[in-house]
Amino acid sequence: MAGRRALKAVLIDLSGTLHIEDTAVPGAQDALNRLRQASVDVRFVTNTTKESKRSLVEKLQRLDFHVQEKEIFTSLSAARSLVERKQLRPLLLLEDSALEDFTGIDTSEPNAVVIGLSPDHFNYQTLNQAFRMVLEGAPLIAIHKARYYKRADGLALGPGPFVTGLEFAADCRATVVGKPEKCFFTQALSDLGCSPTEAVMIGDDARDDVGGAQNAGMLGILVRTGKYREGDEDKINPPPHLTCDSFPEAVAHILKNLL
Amino acid sequence: MADTDWPGYGKSLKGVILDMCGVLYDSGEGGGVAITGSIEAVKKLKASDLQLRFCTNETQLNREAFVDKLKRLGFDISVSEVFSPAPAAVAVLKERGFRPHLLVYDGLLPEFDSVDKTNPNCVVIGDAAEKFTYQNLNEAFRVLIGLEKPVLFSLGGGRYYKEGDGLALDVGAYMKALEVQPSDERHSTVTADGTVNDLAQAVDMILKQRH
Repeated sequence: MAGRRALKAVLIDLSGTLHIEDTAVPGAQDALNRLRQASVDVRFVTNTTKESKRSLVEKLQRLDFHVQEKEIFTSLSAARSLVERKQLRPLLLLEDSALEDFTGIDTSEPNAVVIGLSPDHFNYQTLNQAFRMVLEGAPLIAIHKARYYKRADGLALGPGPFVTGLEFAADCRATVVGKPEKCFFTQALSDLGCSPTEAVMIGDDARDDVGGAQNAGMLGILVRTGKYREGDEDKINPPPHLTCDSFPEAVAHILKNLL
Repeated sequence: MADTDWPGYGKSLKGVILDMCGVLYDSGEGGGVAITGSIEAVKKLKASDLQLRFCTNETQLNREAFVDKLKRLGFDISVSEVFSPAPAAVAVLKERGFRPHLLVYDGLLPEFDSVDKTNPNCVVIGDAAEKFTYQNLNEAFRVLIGLEKPVLFSLGGGRYYKEGDGLALDVGAYMKALEVQPSDERHSTVTADGTVNDLAQAVDMILKQRH
């Protein structure tokens, strides 16, 4: 491909791409092993507001995927990285399970708000506290802005609506750190010493996974598993580099055509 | 600074409409506190030949309870003089055949007694304060997303208001959280004709121009 350097890294979405809830996508474990045998770096990327890296690794290992904690980059990692870079002391509106990924961050006398999804902590008082801080000028950092997600008992509000409400009330814009933000992808690649043009993203979300990655300069492969709906590939511009049935087919394409 | 050169409007005025929260009183503990000079200002208006009405986006209490609260603070005011969102919403719901899922403060529920709430085909939100929990918002969201044509009515669109010693999110923030597309309501841009420090100053300015 003219102007394109050889592939050095593959970013892989988790939920909907490697597994659907507690079931691995058929053939995905073998496909991952085959990918690892090629000379590419692999990173697992996900928008989560409540799962720590450790709990993600444990879940994947239970499904027979060989992954290590250092290969995982989440929207929580991206938020932590931003907080550290700007030396902020955050008010963390996160579930307890997510706090693990912020160990070591000073949260006394907070001067910033990090907002994820925390049904247990989202209440009028907490949101007012966050609102007052943001109105006074504290940066508002959103883990991501998903509008809703699928839970066992039905659809549930994601962090997006709460971020939007705070932005409206305080007349400000949140810094969003998760997919599909460009900085999420560039950060995920940064410690691999690899530029976006040397990387490809595989995911089931046309807009957040593939659109976001391509916007950052990567190639994007859309898989028809997870939240994929017929016609999703037509909803982004430019369209995905490839749309295929599932993760094993995406890996086969990479091994055959992109290395 | 007060704009005391309000060019002669006072002479041709026939009526005055007063906003309430932030003009008559400030919200807070124990129902709130009257703003200095406001009780007297209302008395002066009533003693004049001007017609007086009150309008509010108050949606934590029904009108009777709300007016009682203001009377206890010392204001001369009656229900028939007050216009608030809930009765307007009830009229719209009935007119258009909507059956609401309500996310409003308990104190406002009586306003909706005459409305059919079975098998909801829309959501109505007001300033629900502590009832704005994740669970309640999620329930309202599920009603909306389950409708072929989701319809959301918001009793006001304010961003925040003064509550006690700080600011609190108003219903507008929660409306923005739940809405998928921006409202198709269009409001014309309005600029103030004048600004004053408080109601007392406004009333003195108006009445001075009439004599």
